Amino acid sequence: MALELLLTALGAFLGTLGFAVLVRAPKRAWIPASLIGMGAYGVFWILTTIGLSEAASIFCGSLCGSLAALVCARHMKMIGTVFLMLSIVSFVPGLGLYRCMHHLGDGATIQGANEGVRAMITIAMIVFGQGAGNFLYRSLLKR
Amino acid sequence: METLQLAGQLIVESGGEIFRVEETITRMGTAFGLQDVQAFAVPSGMFISYRLSDGNVETAVKRLRSGSTDLSRVDAVNGVSRRVEAGELTQRQAQAVLEEIRGAWPGLRFPTGIAAAGLCAAGFSLLFGGGWMEFLIAGAVAALWQMWSALLSGTRVNGMVLTILGGMVSALLPTAVKFALPALGTEAVIAGALMPLLPGLTMTNAVQDTVRGDVMAGLSHGLQALFTACAAAGGALLSAALFRVLTGGGL
Repeated sequence: MALELLLTALGAFLGTLGFAVLVRAPKRAWIPASLIGMGAYGVFWILTTIGLSEAASIFCGSLCGSLAALVCARHMKMIGTVFLMLSIVSFVPGLGLYRCMHHLGDGATIQGANEGVRAMITIAMIVFGQGAGNFLYRSLLKR
Repeated sequence: METLQLAGQLIVESGGEIFRVEETITRMGTAFGLQDVQAFAVPSGMFISYRLSDGNVETAVKRLRSGSTDLSRVDAVNGVSRRVEAGELTQRQAQAVLEEIRGAWPGLRFPTGIAAAGLCAAGFSLLFGGGWMEFLIAGAVAALWQMWSALLSGTRVNGMVLTILGGMVSALLPTAVKFALPALGTEAVIAGALMPLLPGLTMTNAVQDTVRGDVMAGLSHGLQALFTACAAAGGALLSAALFRVLTGGGL
C-alpha cells in the first residue's frame, strides 16, 4: 500500500512537472504546481482507497487542487491558470479515452460506450470541482 | 490601439483565457487615460473600442490565430498590464516591452521539449498502473513523438492532424514493442503517451471563462477541448485498426 502510494505520488509529480515544462509554465511555478498536482491526485487516491466513488473522489481532488492552485497563484503573484491547469492534469482521463477507443475498435460497442461515458463523467467532475474551487476561493478566501 | 491589440494578441495566441484578454485591454487602456474602454474577444478575434479626450471614438478589429501554448508569455503580458496599471510603464514603454516579449521570447528548446514530453508520459504511465518498463517505454514513445511533432510543426500540417498522428504513434509504437517485450503493459504505456496530447489547458480555460460569466468563450474552448481529445483518441483507434489489419488480429 505504501509503495503503491509512493509510486502514485511520484507518477503524479513527474507527469505534472513534464506537462508544466511542455506548456512553458514560468520556471518558478514548476515545483509548486507539480506538488499541488501531486497533492490533488493524492486526495483522489486516498478517497477512492477508503471507498468513495471515483466520480466523487475526482470532484474532491479537483476542488482541493483548484483551491490550493488559486491560493498559490495569489501568493506568488502569478496567473491562476498556470496552477489551475497543472492541478487537474493528472485527472484528465487518458486511460479512459484509450480504453473507449480500444473497445470500439474491437467492436465491443457496449464496453466502449461505458468507458466513454466514464471518461465524460470524469471530465464533468473535473470541471465541477474546478468551478466549485473557483467559487469558494472568490467568495470565501479572496479578500 | 497598437499596444492594446498586441497585449490581447499575445495572450490569445499563447493559450490565455478570453476573460484575461478583455480584462487586460480594459485595464491597460484605462491606465493610458482612454475613456470608456471596451474589449470583446473570442478565440479567433477581438474588437477594441475607446473614446479619446476630444470625444472621438476609435474602434479596431483584429483577427487572431491560435499559436503554441506558452504560459510564461501570458504571465509576462499580465505582468506588463499590472505595471501599466501601477503607473510604472508609459504606453511607449509598455509597447516596447510587449514587442520584446513577442520577438525575443525563447520558447521551448528542442531537447527540453523532448525531455518534458518524455517525463510527462513516463510519470502518467506510473499513475495508470505501469511499472518501470512501462515508465521507460512511455517516456521514449512520447519523446519520439515530440521530436517528430517539432519537426512537422515547421511544415504546414494542421494542428488537429498533428494530434491525430500523435494518437496513432502513441498507440502504434507500444503495440509494436510488445512483440519484443511480451510482458509490456501496453495500456499504461499508450495512455501515458497520450497524456501530453490531451487538452488540459483548453479545458481549464473553458471552466475559467464560464465561471467568469463568458459562456460563449467557455463553450468555444470546451468544444475545442472535446475535438482535441477525440482526435488524440481517434488516432489511437486508427492505429489499433491498422495493426489489426496488418497482423490479422494477432494482437
